[in-house]
Amino acid sequence: MKHSCSCKTKALAPATVLSNEKLGPRIFRITLQLKGLGAKAFAAFKPGQFAQFEVRDLALPAKYAIPADLKDKSRKNNILRRPFSFYNVEVVEDSVILRALYLVLGAGTLRLSTTTAGDEISLVGPLGNGFSVPKNKKLALILAGGMGAPPLQHLGTFLAEKHPEIRVAAFAGARSKADLPFNLVKTHAETELSFCLEEFARHNIESHVATDDGSVGYKGFVTDLLQHWLTKNSIDPAQTIIYTCGPDPMLASVARLAASLNVDCQVSTERVMGCGFGVCQSCAIECYKPGTQEKIYKLCCTDGPVFDSREVAWK
Amino acid sequence: MKNSVDISVNFAGRQLQNPVLTASGTCGYVDELSDFMDVNCLGGFITKSITLKPRLGNPTPRIVETDSGMLNAIGLANIGLERFLSEKLPLIEKLSIPVYVNVAGQTLDEYLAVTEALCKCKALAGIELNISCPNVKAGGITFGKDPAQIESITAQVKKLCASKTLIVKLTPTVTEISDSARAAINGGADALSLVNTFTAMVIDIERRKPVLANRTGGLSGPAIKPMAVYLVNKVYNDVAKQAKIPILGLGGIQTGSDAIEFILAGATAVSIGTATFSEPNCCINVIEGIKNYCLRHKLSGVEQLIGSVE
Repeated sequence: MKHSCSCKTKALAPATVLSNEKLGPRIFRITLQLKGLGAKAFAAFKPGQFAQFEVRDLALPAKYAIPADLKDKSRKNNILRRPFSFYNVEVVEDSVILRALYLVLGAGTLRLSTTTAGDEISLVGPLGNGFSVPKNKKLALILAGGMGAPPLQHLGTFLAEKHPEIRVAAFAGARSKADLPFNLVKTHAETELSFCLEEFARHNIESHVATDDGSVGYKGFVTDLLQHWLTKNSIDPAQTIIYTCGPDPMLASVARLAASLNVDCQVSTERVMGCGFGVCQSCAIECYKPGTQEKIYKLCCTDGPVFDSREVAWK
Repeated sequence: MKNSVDISVNFAGRQLQNPVLTASGTCGYVDELSDFMDVNCLGGFITKSITLKPRLGNPTPRIVETDSGMLNAIGLANIGLERFLSEKLPLIEKLSIPVYVNVAGQTLDEYLAVTEALCKCKALAGIELNISCPNVKAGGITFGKDPAQIESITAQVKKLCASKTLIVKLTPTVTEISDSARAAINGGADALSLVNTFTAMVIDIERRKPVLANRTGGLSGPAIKPMAVYLVNKVYNDVAKQAKIPILGLGGIQTGSDAIEFILAGATAVSIGTATFSEPNCCINVIEGIKNYCLRHKLSGVEQLIGSVE
């Protein structure tokens, strides 16, 4: 049973902001440090898990600094936490360093964007179930869509460090070059596909880029890019696994592709959450009852956010 | 100065070690919050609603955040009576605090069947009759808006659970809540839970559609607190004080100060709901806050505060 042991796996703990940098017009990178009980709980943080950030106590930017499209949203006093995943989780002595990317989209992230080194943010986590690595896999294909990238970057590092027997190839898609939450590096080949991602390259993971507008890399969806790659690389379906995170339509299309290839696929989903730990029942996600076509609801927060793609009833 | 104070209260004949309970639908069935707090430190525990058969709940989106509050239309998603008895009751049996099970249904027979089964469970202190859920098409609030029906369902449920505490949870979405309270008391309620969420709506102006798939939902959180305090005080003065029926006050409580406000208004105990989502150990902080208030005001306990607002 899930809660049968008395050990605590989740913590409600303060994290100290080490840095919070603006990378693009709306993209930020935040680095946090946990100590004590928080560090103890987050030391076991798995790629694909998440944490809930308390944003209500954080200050809004000065009125003039709030982008016009967020002015109305920023008038709201938020009472709920906001879920975030991390692209890197590192145990350093008795502390844990968490690194996250976020897009300023509403009042919560607007408040988060004002934090500076030394500020404290209350975290609840680690929450949810992360990605798992089934036995006998030799090839992992990682498909990241837009801001779905951070947990997959974490996974890439994890696979490189803990599963050297698995070859990893990463595919990142975004609307345009500016929306790609990675560092692009030029490779030697002078073609339109001659870019790779520094975050994966540093672990010797091959990587490929697709943009909807073709501003960098392959012009088209990341799923098309994978299919293009598959024409040049042969895979053994039984020894291959696809990991993906991104917007729902992309996840559905990756799930269809995985099914057609007969390859296992794990999808990291996102739903509006109240609590993040299973008590509010808000983040229901339509799934099939195992072995049937009967639809049931599972919870994104405690049953997911990572699901087997065959489990989810895609719209 | 003394650094401890006894804040126990007598709630419908049972002594609670403190006046802080969980609110149904925000704390799971029993042990979901045990990573964040020791449930045995609470005054009591009120479970998520249980219906006769499992319920999947409403389509999504089921919640939307509002200014200082949130709307929910979960639709009583729950594991159903059978699984509750086999999976959750054994865990409840291990707790040392009183546990009340929130009972919901679509028909009178369903309420009665669930009540009958639960009242056989020695480990349960009582039930909280949910006739105020605004998010289901049948049952729920339809019973809770008509005083005649409130009295009738309360009486029939009470007949089946004479040995247990019967708390009736009322909706604030009525013209005269004291009529509802009076009906519940006449039906045999041992305590009243005030208040459930306020029926409300949020519209997505870009899509020109309601945000919630259910169109409407129940508003909770700090946004409703002053209204809930008013309704507790009104029912206390109009009905409960004279009838000597305790009130379990709830609606937007996040701090010990909020809880004291409800107690001064007439509540004997309080429930913590929405605040648990952002602060999963909120109940414990509220208990500490109540103790601190008592110490600061050199009070020997909280019972003397009940309904004492001037």
